[in-house]
Amino acid sequence: MKRFLVIALLAVLFTFGFSFKAIMVTDTGGLGDKSFNDGTWAGIKKAGEELKIETKVVMSLEQSDYVPNLTKAAEEVLKEKDGGVVFAVGFMMQDALEKVAKQYPTVYFACIDFTPSSTLPNVIGFLFKEQEAAFSVGYIAAAMTKTGKVGFVGGIAIPPVERYRYGYEAGVKAYQDLKGKKVTVVRGYTNEFSDPKKGKDLAISQFSQGVDIIFAAAGACGNGVIEAAKEKSEKLAGKGLENIKKYALSGKALYYAIGVDVDQDYVAPGVVLTSATKGVDMAGYYGVKWAYTGQFKGGTQTLGLKEQGVRISQLTYTKEIIDKVAPTVLKEIDYLQGLILKGTITIPDSEDALKAFTVKGVKLPK
Amino acid sequence: MIVLLAILSVFINPEFYKIALTVATPLMFASLGGVFSETTGVVNIALEGIILMGSFTSVVFTYLTGNVWFGVLMAVVSGIILALLHAWGSIKWSGNQIVLGTAITLLAQGLTGFLMEPIFGQPGQTDFVGKIDEITIPGLVEIPFIGQVLGEISPFVYIAFGCVAFGWWLIYKTKLGLRMRAVGENPEAADTLGINVYAIRYFGVIMSGVFASLAGAYLSVGEIGQFKELMSGGRGFIGLAAMIVGNWNPVGAMLASLFFGFFGAFSNQLQSLQEIQVAANVKSLFDTIPFILTIVVVAGVVGRSRGPAADGVPYEKHD
Repeated sequence: MKRFLVIALLAVLFTFGFSFKAIMVTDTGGLGDKSFNDGTWAGIKKAGEELKIETKVVMSLEQSDYVPNLTKAAEEVLKEKDGGVVFAVGFMMQDALEKVAKQYPTVYFACIDFTPSSTLPNVIGFLFKEQEAAFSVGYIAAAMTKTGKVGFVGGIAIPPVERYRYGYEAGVKAYQDLKGKKVTVVRGYTNEFSDPKKGKDLAISQFSQGVDIIFAAAGACGNGVIEAAKEKSEKLAGKGLENIKKYALSGKALYYAIGVDVDQDYVAPGVVLTSATKGVDMAGYYGVKWAYTGQFKGGTQTLGLKEQGVRISQLTYTKEIIDKVAPTVLKEIDYLQGLILKGTITIPDSEDALKAFTVKGVKLPK
Repeated sequence: MIVLLAILSVFINPEFYKIALTVATPLMFASLGGVFSETTGVVNIALEGIILMGSFTSVVFTYLTGNVWFGVLMAVVSGIILALLHAWGSIKWSGNQIVLGTAITLLAQGLTGFLMEPIFGQPGQTDFVGKIDEITIPGLVEIPFIGQVLGEISPFVYIAFGCVAFGWWLIYKTKLGLRMRAVGENPEAADTLGINVYAIRYFGVIMSGVFASLAGAYLSVGEIGQFKELMSGGRGFIGLAAMIVGNWNPVGAMLASLFFGFFGAFSNQLQSLQEIQVAANVKSLFDTIPFILTIVVVAGVVGRSRGPAADGVPYEKHD
């Protein structure tokens, strides 16, 4: 009788004890980047809590870690009775992922910011229309600049970074076309994502050439860009949000940064004008959920404005400033975003499309 | 023509020289550290790791105590500890100095990464914990041009120049400096004259830890106010290159660092010039300018640069 009970108990445990694991492998930006690694992880954790499954993160310090980390993660998932899903975060992991995913056809893989070159049934790639969020921040930057010169600091010129730039420059161009204000964009690249000082040097360089607003799409280098804008603005206005606000509301010129990937407005309140965010957390969440429920389909998922995959930040600290300096700009952005949703205007995602981009046919409502 | 004028406009912009100084500052510290260590005959490629540890420690103690300068002080302590480790292995145990230096750099990378989670509750990078503001020098700041370059700048820039002056004086004008050079050139001879070779070498390596950790503190609490894993970005190695270009002399190393800083800032400015329109993937080539020029300068202008004769050779006393 006793033995029977034990066996029955074990059988019950085996049938109902679901063992499923979601493992995320970061790129060299790592967790704590306040950007897409953190965002994806937040989404995975949320799904993990909801579905009561184990989640785990593996950090990559160098690019040579990608293949071993992904392999280890896949092996770990294979040991689970009900399998699991491995996340590869960041465009730089593409080659590594393709190698590993082919070796483990029974393990689900989800990629953030890239998609494998050929469709694999066990791999889903999440892409974002970064340009659609960057368009709005470019429009705001063009409206807010007092020098007529805005800057862009990129990390490495990989597709997601470049899509941010195309959208940003398109936003500036749209403002020029609609308002007749001449605004030029200068751009530079740090050639990496993890050296904040390099981002700061580049930002100070652009400021010294007459730029007053910089959009940084450069991972942790972007923190240096924000710090540069903060240093410059604090010297003029004094420290703290209150002083920055007072100074800006009196109509005087300040230096601003624009954040990327997640809402970075809080990093330097008042100085980070807005952020172009993408819903990597959504990708993390659905990646886990689909793999768990068996809805997982190999291929590419592109998330844009329509899917609420990209948007601009809440403007928690800067709404007053923007409303004061450029009173109509937020309304205009709402209108333009409506046009993007309707498909009346398409935000460029390549250099050629950017050159051809125009909103000359658009009429802003009064 | 327009391009030339645009490039000229860079050179008459005082901010350009200020950026050049801030790019050069960590290299000045690192190369001076290299000079101190190698003058006494110990190769120290652990500088990269010591810099990283300095960045980390200064942020940790700033975070814990709220006092930025206390953070800098503790960074120096961490630099001394890592340098002692290097000195102990390479002087006491005559270990291979390249292997030891590499090991210490890897140790620093691993340790800082590991300690992030328990101390800050998140891996990768910390929040902004506070930083050392630029100082304004009354009088100087009013002078046109020079005031814009040097009048309002991070105190670390001045500390770096001060350290170089101190280093030059110590190595070339004091008895201790003479002994350091003697130990680096010919430890046997120095030993016969009654100089404690080991003590002098310990001193040289420890000083290199002090200077390299200042470079690290400058990068984190001096410039950004946060720590990011691997944020030292190879500056320890560039510092060693500056030391070699500068012929193992504190002033030479400083000039070489300024040279790197100058062209580092120059490449930043070039990237941002509207007049130079190039594709994004070509822009990364601008970053190689300082190094291409280094090759030209070292090969063509400086000629032979010669290090201390006993550099990298462990000294074993024969009784």
